[in-house]
Amino acid sequence: MISAQGLTRRFGDRAAVTDLSLSVPEGAVLGLLGPNGAGKTTTVRLLTCLLSPDAGSALVAGHDIATDPQAVRRSVGLLTESPGLYKRLSVWQNLLLFAQLHEVAKPEEKAQRYLSLMGLWDRRKDLAGTLSKGLAQRLALARALVHEPPALFLDEPTAGLDPEAAREVRILMEELRSEQRAVILCTHNLPEAERLCDRIVVLNTRSVSEGTPQELKLRMFGARTVVRLARPQPELAPALRDLPFVKEAESSDGELSVEMEKAETHNPELVRHLVEMGAEILHVLPQERTLEDVYLKLMEDEDAA
Amino acid sequence: MRLRTLLLKEWEEARRIKMVIYGVVFLPLFMLGLAVLMAWQARDLPLEAQAVMLNTSLLYFVILPIMIPLSIAVYAIVGEKEQGTLEPLLATPLTETELFMGKGLAAVIPALIITWLTYGAFLAVTWALLGAIPEGVLSAPWLASVFLLSPLLAMFAVLVTVLVSSRTTDPRAAYQFSSLALLPALVPLIVYSTQLTAVSLTLVAVEAAVLIALNAVILYVAVRLFRRESILTRWR
Repeated sequence: MISAQGLTRRFGDRAAVTDLSLSVPEGAVLGLLGPNGAGKTTTVRLLTCLLSPDAGSALVAGHDIATDPQAVRRSVGLLTESPGLYKRLSVWQNLLLFAQLHEVAKPEEKAQRYLSLMGLWDRRKDLAGTLSKGLAQRLALARALVHEPPALFLDEPTAGLDPEAAREVRILMEELRSEQRAVILCTHNLPEAERLCDRIVVLNTRSVSEGTPQELKLRMFGARTVVRLARPQPELAPALRDLPFVKEAESSDGELSVEMEKAETHNPELVRHLVEMGAEILHVLPQERTLEDVYLKLMEDEDAA
Repeated sequence: MRLRTLLLKEWEEARRIKMVIYGVVFLPLFMLGLAVLMAWQARDLPLEAQAVMLNTSLLYFVILPIMIPLSIAVYAIVGEKEQGTLEPLLATPLTETELFMGKGLAAVIPALIITWLTYGAFLAVTWALLGAIPEGVLSAPWLASVFLLSPLLAMFAVLVTVLVSSRTTDPRAAYQFSSLALLPALVPLIVYSTQLTAVSLTLVAVEAAVLIALNAVILYVAVRLFRRESILTRWR
């Protein structure tokens, strides 16, 4: 549904996006993560034909961004970082305007449908400038959806929202997944990305790493098991490193952290060896890593490089 | 269809802005009042002196097509920037030409309609007050000024405002800078309204030619400014 190969864009001497390739099938959500200035918004602008690439190519809903930008714009919905509503127009006028600009059939029906879907029908006569941040974001989401685009680009959809409003927007986004749209989500909110995205691209003007959240965690930290001991036994760690399935073992404060090829397969064997070595085990747990750990490690490596 | 949608949106927004309402309602009424006052004062003067006074009142009808689009165009552009609506708008199938035409026509059309209505009201009021339309105000130079110069002046005002507004985020600053930039357009009009010379077809033709040339140059720059990339990367 959305695919890009070697997208590159510079602004003067500064590289905004370099050699970026990605693919989002229908019904999937791809998360773009990266620090400010990493090229997330530029990527979205390239794929929505707001900017032209210096190199590379992309297809959005089967349309080439270089040769058929009008068709691309008809096929995409864009939620910008700020809602970008006409504050002096009513909620209804805001949505109807975009339905008409996209030349959808029966724009009034579509506007009514999406206002109802977003729980804004009762507020349709209010000026958009009177809406709370959460409601404004819902209206902006309705605007991105009113022409029912197959490809959706969401740039920081929950930025600046209070926790309740952010939760509401996340619920709406989860509903979008079931509608077989291809979604690209730019966010700094890593738990949100972990929860919503099927795949993640970590950007720092170029793709630093890509995969499912689970793949990224395994790639960065491997499968680790934490063994809590009744008393510190630092001598166990070097002994564990001699086992063929153990990649790394560390000991600290009565806790062993063991990285293995496949934790779920090797855990029983690990426990048996530890017992034979005289370990007094209190409990054994898989070490949980979050996408935030992955992201921070990647950025640390980037800085070091 | 999209152009019509954009035009209607511009007008719907404009009618909710006090500054614009002042420009399209109170300013024409004020200008009409001044012009009628001049015609009233000139009523008993000899024909030659009357023509000189009316010469001055023509200025009011050529100021309108400059001042009315100014306020509309300022808010049509700076308003989009203030509200952060340009990016969602540019992500629609709206073409750059439609966007440019929509913003421009939204300012030019009301300016011309109001200018011509004000001129018509001036003729009607002076006829009602004086019992006849003063000699000269239906002459060829007057008609050429009101009907030929007005569209050129309105277009000049919009184009200058577009250039200025693309570089500022403050509507008041845009309004003031645009007003300053538009002053040269009024110089010939001030010359003959201050009775240095009489309104003539030659003067109107010269100013029209200068405006056409200026408009062509500014249009070339403005169209380039209205490319999606320029709007997103170069507008402030």
